Amino acid sequence: MESVELMVNGVRREGRVEPRRTLADFLREELGLTGTHVGCEQGACGACTVLLDGEPVYACLLFAVQARGHEITTVEGLAAPGELDPVQDAFRRCHALQCGFCTPGMLLAAHGLLADDPDPDEADIRGALAGNICRCTGYQSIVAAVRLAAAERRRPAAPEGAAR
Amino acid sequence: MTGEPEEGRIGSPARRIEDPRLLTGRGRYVADLTAPHLAHAAFLRSTVPHARITVDASAARTAPGVIAVFTAADLAGTLGPVRFDASIPGMTQLVHTALADDRVRLVGDPVAMVVAESRYLAEDALELIEVRYDELPPVPDVATALDPAAPALYDVAPGNVPYHDSARYGDVDGAFRSADRVIGRTLRQHRYMAAPLETRGGLAVHEPAGGELTYHASAHAPHLMRMVLAAHLRLPPHRVRVVVPDMGGSFGSKWGITREDLLVCAAAVRTGRPVRWIEDRRENLLVGGHARDESLHLEAAVRADGTLLGLRAKLVMDIGAYSVIPMNPAFFTLALRLLIPGPYRVPAYDFEVSTVCTNKGPYVAYRGPWAVETWAREVLLDIVAGELGLAPEEIRRRNLVTPAEQPYRTAAGWRLDGTRAPATLERALELADLTRFRAEQRRARERGEVLGFGLATFIEPSPGGAEFLAMSGGGKETARVRVEPTGEVSLFTSQIPHGQGHETTLAQVVAAEFGLPYTAVRVVHGDTDATPFSMVGTGGSRAATFGSGAATRAARAVRDQVLRLAGGMLGAPADELELAGGRVYVRERPATGLSMVQLAGMVSLAPAYLPPDTPTELAATATYDGADGGFAQATHCCWVRVDPGTGQVEITRYLVVEDCGSMINPAVVEGQIRGGTAQGVGGVLYERLHYDEAARPLTGTLRDYLLPTAADVPPIEIVHLGPEPGAGPPDHRGVGEGGAICAPPAITNALSDALGTEITQQSVTPSFVLAALRKAGATLADPLDR
Repeated sequence: MESVELMVNGVRREGRVEPRRTLADFLREELGLTGTHVGCEQGACGACTVLLDGEPVYACLLFAVQARGHEITTVEGLAAPGELDPVQDAFRRCHALQCGFCTPGMLLAAHGLLADDPDPDEADIRGALAGNICRCTGYQSIVAAVRLAAAERRRPAAPEGAAR
Repeated sequence: MTGEPEEGRIGSPARRIEDPRLLTGRGRYVADLTAPHLAHAAFLRSTVPHARITVDASAARTAPGVIAVFTAADLAGTLGPVRFDASIPGMTQLVHTALADDRVRLVGDPVAMVVAESRYLAEDALELIEVRYDELPPVPDVATALDPAAPALYDVAPGNVPYHDSARYGDVDGAFRSADRVIGRTLRQHRYMAAPLETRGGLAVHEPAGGELTYHASAHAPHLMRMVLAAHLRLPPHRVRVVVPDMGGSFGSKWGITREDLLVCAAAVRTGRPVRWIEDRRENLLVGGHARDESLHLEAAVRADGTLLGLRAKLVMDIGAYSVIPMNPAFFTLALRLLIPGPYRVPAYDFEVSTVCTNKGPYVAYRGPWAVETWAREVLLDIVAGELGLAPEEIRRRNLVTPAEQPYRTAAGWRLDGTRAPATLERALELADLTRFRAEQRRARERGEVLGFGLATFIEPSPGGAEFLAMSGGGKETARVRVEPTGEVSLFTSQIPHGQGHETTLAQVVAAEFGLPYTAVRVVHGDTDATPFSMVGTGGSRAATFGSGAATRAARAVRDQVLRLAGGMLGAPADELELAGGRVYVRERPATGLSMVQLAGMVSLAPAYLPPDTPTELAATATYDGADGGFAQATHCCWVRVDPGTGQVEITRYLVVEDCGSMINPAVVEGQIRGGTAQGVGGVLYERLHYDEAARPLTGTLRDYLLPTAADVPPIEIVHLGPEPGAGPPDHRGVGEGGAICAPPAITNALSDALGTEITQQSVTPSFVLAALRKAGATLADPLDR
């Protein structure tokens, strides 16, 4: 067993894990952060996407021990309880989710994109999200949601983003 | 309450009630559930397609963390043979054990189950199980299976054909005798699958003292599952409860009950521990449910002017090695045979079907399990048009059943009424501006660019009306509505939302009956101890019609109770009362009224002050038979550009013109249409389950089985015809399956147009495109010369 210390959603967390334990399983099973979903464990579907030091990574392809000392953001860390951040709210307004299984990964991939490029065009968005599979929506509403979120984030004095 | 005051009224794109929890990672999918002393199951699966086996699991039984190891022999006393006596004439029941006993029939066949303290330890122990495989000749495809020299997968089905049936409607011989031309092709769909992003899974808890079994499962026919689990585990059905948490998609694939469901429950019964199993992606690709692999030989008898006189249809389905319960693919052919003429005038046709066993994954329901009728018919119509020198749209115009001809008695004897497929075609053609496109296509061709256009028209039973339902094995649906002490309303539905937004759309229809905000309606679903019985659950594009029909009727019954109670208390007859905004008042004296909170509170908490015959709760159950439900219909148009160098296909424009009656929530409708269409795009251009000549699967990851990404699926324009002026009461028709049904023929017809060649298979890969371009020759450079 190895000890792991890392920051998760701004809180210092620690645990003891087998070296083979994936980051996705560590987040889900040890920390109870089940918003990180596991869709393939093959690094293909993107459902387990989290931010590692602000960059989107597949949590199924990392071992928990590799995240030692790093800062992880999961979907649970995007907004205060009972609130939605601007990207989540845009997803809701655009009906950018159906079953919701890809959604946490999609949100974090969108955050990764918007951190690098506050004004992406449609092709940029489609390219940046191409590592995250959504089997329900056909993507159009997701692209619209990311554009909406980007536009609202660029607004000088953004109104209160999260309605509920 | 959220948003605009009008948000939530029927017809508004109300934001979904389920979304805040799903967007914040607070959804609860089956893999997120746990239980005290939870144990984890994993399966050892066959590595060969066809063999006699002997299993030695002794080393695994003492491995670290192992609670139990089961082989078929270990479970003989707990779990009966897998069977479901569906009453389909002509079908042979393929009975087998849940774990393979002495024979495996595909790569992925479960041979042993380990239950351990963690999934990691369970998988470690799998490696200690020894299996000796004495290989049998593989049956990789239909041609091999039908060879008299091939081994039979089941002794009860010699020749590997467990189901054969035929039907004849009208004077088919006469139609073919009097035809100017008979034009036929064999049209081939490949094996592909639903591939929901969440795989299958379940968590079983058995209480030995009371004998109760609770199974939390990612599945959308929980009442049926309860009966199947009870029958196989020899438990009384009322001691089995199935609970469905949030579900990460299915598209039909989780409708049936699988061997793993039975095994996980058996493991809980035998170990006395809660047991959870979550399918991994490789398992899902091997045995999680394949679909679509069939060929339809379709012949059309036509006059020289394109008038259809009759059809002959011969279907062969590759159903793989096992069927999930109870959905033997034979069942799908009951609706399929009725739908072969689609929205067209076909006075006579016949139909013949064989299902064929091979050493491949099980064939299950996938978003329009009868879809081959639309794909094959729409492809053949383009071919017939080409041979007769007609435009694709013209042959459709000449054969579509017009509104003036309805009600129209189809050759199979059911009634087509109120369908508007011709209107979807005409509107699509207006928007498509084909004259301009054809000119552009010619100019592009001169520049060496390859463009194409294709269309397809279809109807989708949703649910099809009384006669169609009776002939295709339809059914009723029941809902219960109850006013809570807070004045809010609960709906108990047998729908199982897994992306369709029923918590929102059904709340919208119930809220409308009470004049409440839709957020004041709680939709309770997915618990066999709480929700009305339904064999179907969610499937067959039923929710819009059946789910909302039952909910509306139950809500109206409760509304009547509310008005009667309020009338007594206000001293006014019910017909002088209004119910709006959660308040009952006298129409002439709006200040005189009672809120639903007051009424419900009185019923619950102060019954002594009410008349003695007042019910103890404001609640009602109602059933809807779907008899006045009809069809949804659409025309899909697809524009493609083909790269002659790489064979890559780009969909440059995609248009859907559809009519589903009155929409409850247009954002949900459009999501269903776009999502289904995207699956059609995937099916034609990307997705294909490959097996080699020895029936060994080659697609074990999502890097081999390609699902379309945001970079692959084009924007999809949608035009709703909307209810006809003067149409009757709100008529909501389902659109769940249509996108996936109608997209493949629109796309393959567009590619056929682009490449100037007939396309009689549904899978169109870059290598197929390049080969077609080479064959067409024309002025295009051969890419292999570069």
